[in-house]
Amino acid sequence: MARSSYPAEVLTPEGQVYQGEVEMISTRTATGSLGVLANHAPLMAMLEPTELKLYKSGSENPGSAEVDRFAQGEGYLQVVDNSALLIVEDALRVDEIDRPALESRLEEARQGLENAEEGSEEQDRRRREIKRAEAFLAIGGEGS
Amino acid sequence: MASQKDVKSRISSVKNIQKITRAMEMVAAARLRRAEQRIEALRPYARAVRRMTRRTVEAVESIPNLPLLEEHDEVKRVGLLLITGDRGLAGAFNSQIVRAGNRRAAELKAEGKEVVWYASGKRGVSSLEFRGFDVAVAHQGFTDRPAFANARDIAGDVATQYVDGKVDRVEIIFNHYESPLTQTVRENVLLPLQEMAQVLAEAEGEVDEEDASDHDGSEVDHHRSLWIYEPEPEEILQRLVPDFIEITIFRALLESTASEHGARMSAMRSAQENAGEMIDDLTLEMNRQRQAEITQEIMEVVAGAEGLS
Repeated sequence: MARSSYPAEVLTPEGQVYQGEVEMISTRTATGSLGVLANHAPLMAMLEPTELKLYKSGSENPGSAEVDRFAQGEGYLQVVDNSALLIVEDALRVDEIDRPALESRLEEARQGLENAEEGSEEQDRRRREIKRAEAFLAIGGEGS
Repeated sequence: MASQKDVKSRISSVKNIQKITRAMEMVAAARLRRAEQRIEALRPYARAVRRMTRRTVEAVESIPNLPLLEEHDEVKRVGLLLITGDRGLAGAFNSQIVRAGNRRAAELKAEGKEVVWYASGKRGVSSLEFRGFDVAVAHQGFTDRPAFANARDIAGDVATQYVDGKVDRVEIIFNHYESPLTQTVRENVLLPLQEMAQVLAEAEGEVDEEDASDHDGSEVDHHRSLWIYEPEPEEILQRLVPDFIEITIFRALLESTASEHGARMSAMRSAQENAGEMIDDLTLEMNRQRQAEITQEIMEVVAGAEGLS
């Protein structure tokens, strides 16, 4: 039996990238992967950079499911009244990922981390940047 | 006196300039439209983040320590963030920002404060360096089409400097976009973050009122029990703070880009008008020259004929 669907919206600073019905949203929080089906309890979650998957149909069978994939940056997921709102910093289509740029950013962030003082805000920030770049690079690798 | 040929070649070079400025005006107009659309596109995101912050604040038991919202006890060093463009030929667009920055710096110095310079855009960076200032954080190469990642970089640098105590206040100076024809210089305090402090204060005010009226069924507990928070709302709130700065800076970058294209459009239009006037003048000059040459020739022919007779 097909799973019931619910409305979802993905907002980024560059505008809305998705609006429509989904059966399941798959993303990632600080504690691990998260899948949200219809009629979920009200939820507010902080998201980590990962591959965001919006299952539009056939989600019970991952092999043949119709899925919209995005490289998703840090952000938030809010589920209320059986509708989901994703507020994320980036949501790129997999073919929009700029691998060389990411690699150079990763390198830069690693160097910055080495030079950063222990316990400073700078250190914290570089770590987040490394996490983002690594997550995006992992997605690009799978897709090709 | 310039010969007819010289004047002719000047006319054609002015005509070329006119063509180039017309092309630049059209390019600026197209980019302006795109920049306007991007300002619009940011709005729902900013609104969603604000709304989420309010909900999160209602859910927290106590507002955690947020260093970006705290005022430093003593303001000794003030960071000035100038938002300019990478390219010139846009009228007063860049120079009015640098001028405003210098005026503000003079005021701060008069109060006995030190100024730390931050700049975005090649024009701002180079004119500050030309004046012999040390630019602590410089970002350039993207002002034609700023991405959110650029705003994140700037926000990260500035916030880090604030939290690590390198500056005690940060002010941002940028061109606010009003219409294609008008851009006004805006000077806002970026850090400590007032916009978010306001949201917090509003939410706290509501809590206090409820506490005073009835103690048993507070709205806050109600919210917290219904929602699942992943992680705790206190942690979410901490992450929301930098988002506010990023959005503020991104909006300033987008407005600055729209203003730049607007300013370039009007600058190019008046350049075209000037070129048109110049062509008229030069054409007149050329006709006068030609007339003089013809007169000269006729006089020579007549003189020659008289000599023969």
